[in-house]
Amino acid sequence: MINNTLSLFQLCDSNFPTGAFSHSYGLETYIQQDKVHDQESFLQWLRVYVNEQLVYADGLACRLVYEALNEKDHPKVWKLDRMLTMQNLPRETREGTQRVGERMLKLVESLYEIPILSEYGERIKQGQSFGHPAIVFTIVGHHLGVPASTTILYYLYSAVSSLVQNAVRAIPLGQTAGQKIIQQFQDVLAEATAKVEEMDEEEFGIVSPGLELSQMQHERVNVRIFMS
Amino acid sequence: MQDWTGILRLEAEDRKGKTVAKNVYFQGAFKVMRPIYHDDSGQPCYYILNPGGGYLDGDRYRMQIALDKQARMTLTTQSATKVYKTPNNYVYQETEISLKEGSYLEYIPDPLIAYRNARYKQKNIIRMEKGATFLYSDILTPGWSPEGDKFSYDTLQLINELYVDDELAVYDHIKLNPRNQDMNTIGFMEGFSHLGSMIVVGEQTNNDLLDRLHEAIHVNTNEYRIGLSLLPVPGFTIRVLANSTQTVERLFTECHRIISEEWFNKRPSFLRKY
Repeated sequence: MINNTLSLFQLCDSNFPTGAFSHSYGLETYIQQDKVHDQESFLQWLRVYVNEQLVYADGLACRLVYEALNEKDHPKVWKLDRMLTMQNLPRETREGTQRVGERMLKLVESLYEIPILSEYGERIKQGQSFGHPAIVFTIVGHHLGVPASTTILYYLYSAVSSLVQNAVRAIPLGQTAGQKIIQQFQDVLAEATAKVEEMDEEEFGIVSPGLELSQMQHERVNVRIFMS
Repeated sequence: MQDWTGILRLEAEDRKGKTVAKNVYFQGAFKVMRPIYHDDSGQPCYYILNPGGGYLDGDRYRMQIALDKQARMTLTTQSATKVYKTPNNYVYQETEISLKEGSYLEYIPDPLIAYRNARYKQKNIIRMEKGATFLYSDILTPGWSPEGDKFSYDTLQLINELYVDDELAVYDHIKLNPRNQDMNTIGFMEGFSHLGSMIVVGEQTNNDLLDRLHEAIHVNTNEYRIGLSLLPVPGFTIRVLANSTQTVERLFTECHRIISEEWFNKRPSFLRKY
């Protein structure tokens, strides 16, 4: 079990090349507007991003995909892939997430042989599915026999860890500040995972207005180091 | 799912260039007035009324709108939708819209005002055929309380689910919960009081239109913040944060005008109500 958890942990490494480092998911808009400019203001944004967007989309999808895989309900997985994509109204965030999902899928395919993953890749190629990192990650977690709650927690951790790395570069913050944020954030992630486990399926895709608006505005941000 | 507080069904078809109702049915606390043809385009405007004057605890409303091929319609409300306190059960409104190829619906309800301790859930389900066109907007106000404090309602939840040829193409889910959320902080309302949303789906959408809209509404101002983005199907969505209904209405009216001119070579009518 420990080895399997370690295997899943490989996907959380910020060196795992999914391209997540080129996406800020609206953070860059706030940096440009000087609303996020230091450790404290970044933490405030990160907390809202995780608790008011990430848990209702990626987080809840992790849990529902895991449940669907337990029941071998593949159509449900494809439905969630479409819902994840269609609830992502800002174009850059939507397309960026798809790209990250596809790259993660290709990488994982060269590490593991998982039939549903190949099917997913094939569907994306045919234009029937879109690709999402939360789904790829959950398929791997499920395949490795890592419990659902750990899979959700690790997924959220990997999302947060790349965002912190991006913030360190873009705000900029010191490396030590970055590590402090990740440490401080452990409780938030544990709470977020608990929230996902109790969430009603009806709550899927809830987003808070400011976050989404900033993701849309990013298309028109003048100086950009991120693609979203 | 019975016991609706108000039901409204409206089906319309094109008859030689004029859109006319094929079936109109309403019951309970929903009513629709005789259509008004604001110009000679053959496109009627229907006004929905809530004779009770507002939505009360546990009320449930259902609307079904269907347009046949080539039918065109403006649908609006006669005044703002008011939701009063809901001590026992939230208010629910469900709208199903079905649009056949070549039809056009613009659904532009007045703002939503939620009073103190109100809970409201709204679900719009739109099923369109490829080649149909849909324009929708809504405005959420900060509500109203005797003390004048903002966001004194409990929850507002709005879901827009849009299918093109039976495939999900838009899933828009906003839930504001001022009891547990600090509305003024980053990521939420960010110091603004009003939230406007617009969804437009139409085959003619392209990047030029988006640029034109952007140019028309994006000025450097503290009066509002606006974001617009292309959908995965031909169409786009807009979100506005502002401090008054008038600001959001002005921006949406401008977008509506540009779209009407570009796509239908027509100026939208002023929906005079007061």
